[in-house]
Amino acid sequence: MRTRLGWPVLAAAVALLVTACGGGGAPAEDTGNAAPATTSCASKGELKMWERSGGNKEMVDMLVAAWNTKNPDCKINLTYIPHTEMVGKIAQGIASGEVPDLMGMDLIYAPQFEKAQQLVDLTDRIKSWPELKTASKGHMTVATFEDHLYGVPLYADVSALFYNKDLFTRAGLDPNKPPTSLAEMRAYADKITALGGDIKGYYLPGNCAGCNIFTVGPLMWASGAKIEAKGPGDEPLVGEGVKQVLQFERDMVKAGNVHNGDRTENGETFHLQFGSGKVGMMGTGNFNITLARQQNPSMKFGIALLPGMTPGSSASFIGGDLVVVPKGSKRVADAVNVMKFLLSDQTQVEVYAKALNLTTRSDMVDNQYFKAEPLVQDVAKALTVGRTPYTLTFFEQINSPQGPWLKMLQRAYYSDDNLDTIIADAKKAMKTIAATS
Amino acid sequence: MYRSRRRRLVGLAYLAPALIFVLVFTGYPLGQMVWMSLHNWSLISPPRWVGLGNYKRALADHQFWVSFVFTLKYTVLITPILIVGGYLLALLTAANAPLRRFTRTVVFIPVVIGLGVSSLLWYWLFSPTSGVINRVLLDLGVISQPVLWLGVDDDVSNAAIIASVVWKVIGFGMILFVGAIQAIPSEVIEASLVDGAGRRQRVTRVILPLTRRTILLVTLVSVIGSLLAFDQFYIMTAGQPENQTATSVFYVYLNSFPYLKLGYGAALSLVLAVTILIFTVVQLLLTRRSEA
Repeated sequence: MRTRLGWPVLAAAVALLVTACGGGGAPAEDTGNAAPATTSCASKGELKMWERSGGNKEMVDMLVAAWNTKNPDCKINLTYIPHTEMVGKIAQGIASGEVPDLMGMDLIYAPQFEKAQQLVDLTDRIKSWPELKTASKGHMTVATFEDHLYGVPLYADVSALFYNKDLFTRAGLDPNKPPTSLAEMRAYADKITALGGDIKGYYLPGNCAGCNIFTVGPLMWASGAKIEAKGPGDEPLVGEGVKQVLQFERDMVKAGNVHNGDRTENGETFHLQFGSGKVGMMGTGNFNITLARQQNPSMKFGIALLPGMTPGSSASFIGGDLVVVPKGSKRVADAVNVMKFLLSDQTQVEVYAKALNLTTRSDMVDNQYFKAEPLVQDVAKALTVGRTPYTLTFFEQINSPQGPWLKMLQRAYYSDDNLDTIIADAKKAMKTIAATS
Repeated sequence: MYRSRRRRLVGLAYLAPALIFVLVFTGYPLGQMVWMSLHNWSLISPPRWVGLGNYKRALADHQFWVSFVFTLKYTVLITPILIVGGYLLALLTAANAPLRRFTRTVVFIPVVIGLGVSSLLWYWLFSPTSGVINRVLLDLGVISQPVLWLGVDDDVSNAAIIASVVWKVIGFGMILFVGAIQAIPSEVIEASLVDGAGRRQRVTRVILPLTRRTILLVTLVSVIGSLLAFDQFYIMTAGQPENQTATSVFYVYLNSFPYLKLGYGAALSLVLAVTILIFTVVQLLLTRRSEA
């Protein structure tokens, strides 16, 4: 009898001793089966959050303030990390065990972190949330790796076609009828350019890879094309839409519908172009609504979806940040609660929409604040047709000033090289890059 | 024997702080970089040993060598402008008269501005739509339509960037040259005057030889700075057109950070560092030979 009881008692004592010894160190990682998520804190104590600088700071600050007001016992302590240092900082944090409880991340980098298993797999905790059904498709695409979920949208930037209603009127066009196809865009641009002076019908950033995937990429998607190679063996630049859009842009440049100086645009002054009032139509982002108004308060403008070859076709690039949980986070349950809070109806309307930022759920765009601001309502439609490229080598293939994407565009826009050759060269370079992922 | 050993230990103790500093802040990072260059490492996944693979790849990397040749071209073009220009400005402003002191200050002010800030300023100045430079040239009738200074033609882009960098850093060389010229004993200058040396002879026979070490220093700093050029090209042309204005450091940066290929970036950096070292040693040897 004494012997039978002895082993379990000894085992329990050892377990207690181990637990006691461990108690003095850092709390164990919270990875157990979670209680259903709420929009409040599950435990007390400050939540550490990192966010990259250079994103939508104003919006993130507002979201954090709203959470902190609702949860005074577990406020978020937000730290901005310079964008270029984010990867190093996270890697350093993971190595030393000093990671934040949650973090914002440029959505385009998410697949790399997911593949490297540096983020907490949240599938079991969030997959059944009804909010995810309407969460931004682009965000959710890159938040998913091999059918596992790693995050939810933090904020969204979408691209759309901005058009100057004053110039439309002067050119004899109906200011309430934006173009619905590339052919219409071309015809409208010709008429606006014909106004003369330094007025041009269209804007094309000639030296900016990121601006072009944001605004020219959707023209290709809307025309049925695929752009990036997802990984080794995947074919990039598929579909006639690629060539059609390149031809369209080449013709726009040759017809003089684009300022000659646009060729030098490397992204530094991209956001200031539409507000100049000298451009008839331009692909840009929702951030340009406020900027254009500040720059040119008297200018009347409208927003439409970026069209494709077929009338009525449209697409958009969805950018922005995800909120994710780094491996080693001690407060996974609370981080998930923050995600629930971000996607809640209340936050979507009373924080995102009230500040005239895009909601990250497409079913939330029908709200009182957007109704009072039709331009935001127009740009929000992009959420339903938008997408985000999915590849582990996005920067090398697409975003790099030295990458094949920009090289292809520049050759197409400003040279007379054969378009099939240009596309074939870019395709080869993209495949080579994707093969290394 | 005991005294000599003690003296060595005392000497070592005096050296220790500097030695430790160098080992911790130079030796260790350099060793770490060599280690990194022998691995494939993205920071977010564990490093993988590849031996000399990154170096072999660097030697065969066409774009790296295109960038390297462009960087050399930039260095060869800008260095004489900085040295000759800085020296001429120093000769003109070395005397401590109020107007000359004011001129020195004006020329030196851009040195204290960050290179990133000055590059942004010049990016705007060179803008074909809103830039002042095109506006002035148009108004003066020098050009009939705006010039696309940046990112369209590699030679024009290079010239524009050189102009912006000369404005930014020429004051640095000038101040060093002024210091060197002012350090020449007045007796030497007076003696040359007594011997009947004209202004030109004073400069070529007295001032230039006595400031040779400073010229070497400024040349070295300019060459190294130019070989490591990054900010101005990153901001003003982003390497365009078609990567023809991408510098070596720009390429290293792209590989190391945005592409997350830290090991390859480290190998490229070391190749670049060794090249710069060779340039510096050759330059020092040539100067010593001319002094001998």
